[in-house]
Amino acid sequence: MGTIIVLVILVILAIAAMGVYNRIIGLENRYQNAWSQIDVQLKRRVDLIPNLVETVKGYAAHEKAVFEEVAHSRQAMMNAKGVNEAAAAANQMTAALGRLFAVVENYPDLKANENFKMLQEELSSVENKIAYARQFYNDAVLQYNNAIEQMPGMLFAGPMNKKAAVFLEIPEAEREAPKVSFAS
Amino acid sequence: MSVPRSAVLPNVITDRATGRRISLLDWQASNRRLSWMLGLVMAALLGAIGYLLAQLTNPASAGFFVAVAGLIGGGQTVAAYWFSDQLALGASGARPATKDEHRYLVNVTEAVAIGAGVPTPRIYVIDSPAPNAFATGRDPEHASIAVTRGLVDMLDRQELEGVIAHEMSHIKNYDIRFMSMLAATVGVIVILRDLVLRWFQFGAFGGSRRSRGSRGNNRGQGIMVVLLVVLLVLGPILATILRLAVSRRREFLADATGAYITRNPEGLASALEKLASYKGEGLEVSEGVRHLFIVNPLARHNAVDIFATHPPIQERIDRLRHV
Repeated sequence: MGTIIVLVILVILAIAAMGVYNRIIGLENRYQNAWSQIDVQLKRRVDLIPNLVETVKGYAAHEKAVFEEVAHSRQAMMNAKGVNEAAAAANQMTAALGRLFAVVENYPDLKANENFKMLQEELSSVENKIAYARQFYNDAVLQYNNAIEQMPGMLFAGPMNKKAAVFLEIPEAEREAPKVSFAS
Repeated sequence: MSVPRSAVLPNVITDRATGRRISLLDWQASNRRLSWMLGLVMAALLGAIGYLLAQLTNPASAGFFVAVAGLIGGGQTVAAYWFSDQLALGASGARPATKDEHRYLVNVTEAVAIGAGVPTPRIYVIDSPAPNAFATGRDPEHASIAVTRGLVDMLDRQELEGVIAHEMSHIKNYDIRFMSMLAATVGVIVILRDLVLRWFQFGAFGGSRRSRGSRGNNRGQGIMVVLLVVLLVLGPILATILRLAVSRRREFLADATGAYITRNPEGLASALEKLASYKGEGLEVSEGVRHLFIVNPLARHNAVDIFATHPPIQERIDRLRHV
């Protein structure tokens, strides 16, 4: 009788342990997959930039400083390795593009150009998607971190070699991307 | 290390009507359970109706009647599961949006889908100046959102995001499947009721009564006729009351979930304000799809609507601004 009770308890514990293990793995996959969502949008933005720069140059060729800044940030973005570098490069690029669009304000002809309008809509929507993807990523990271830092997941995190993931900082005023003007 | 503001917003919403805190995950689970229960209740109801019909006409063919009722109900439910979205989209005259023509709308929807963590739904446009929108489908992988041309023209980006996020919440919370199933249930009962009423008119039951002739049997049959009529008449009314009861609460929860997805309650609140103050041409849609829309398409015509599927817009706006 005693052995049966012990066996039953062991089986229940094993099932519970499997549940915790699966939950941690599931949440880890989710936040890593959430990062790939951000990555897709970052790549899309990198692809849009040459076209944008060409169009703007047609009207404002002498604004060299801002083109250089954009090109520089694009290079940094393409060289970035890992989540933290990519996130930093992405913020730098957002700032550079913000300055580019601020410069464009002085060129009414450019602003009326159909191709430019289309590119502007695409870029601001990519910014928007990045913001949403980052928000979803942070939600996923929060759930994952909670799972491995609270009981009972805490007991498993060590043996499974799982460490808390890092949140992405969201720069202030980013959510209003296309309208931002940088008075510096 | 500071936790970003967005990550600490609650995934739990206080239902002001009951004061209870509702986890959005629990809400999804309860919607899925309700869909199943609805299916079971409908099967039982149809079985009972088929059995009573059989007893009244020819007890020997009871199995046949139950089978027919079951087939009608089963067929309708399966049809609702697979095709209700096509029906709703067709009934409202929606056509697919293309990236070239509706770039702005498509981009906004893709962005909100990323934030909600669901696949981008299929996007449809209804060619009407009245601002409105609805979602339909059976699960997040097979969902559609339809918006009117007036909505896209009237709202700015944050407001449009708010409305799309509201519709996305109906998808994420499995409200869409529940509403499809409910509509199918009402549909089946109404069809059966009309069939039986016609039958009564042609005196089909009178014939079978005379041939048997015994008095006690007559009384038994009378009770069964009453039962049948009660089931058939009360069925649709009960289903409608159920729909109204859950519908208003669903709208509040979708507003709250939408505000959670966009992290911007003001966008939806300001969109609802614009929708409420619209005074132009109305949106002509059939009654069957009316409850799907974000605001009642006919709201302007009847100021006091006891059978309202939607809570008053002003109350929704007030709640959003106090999230």
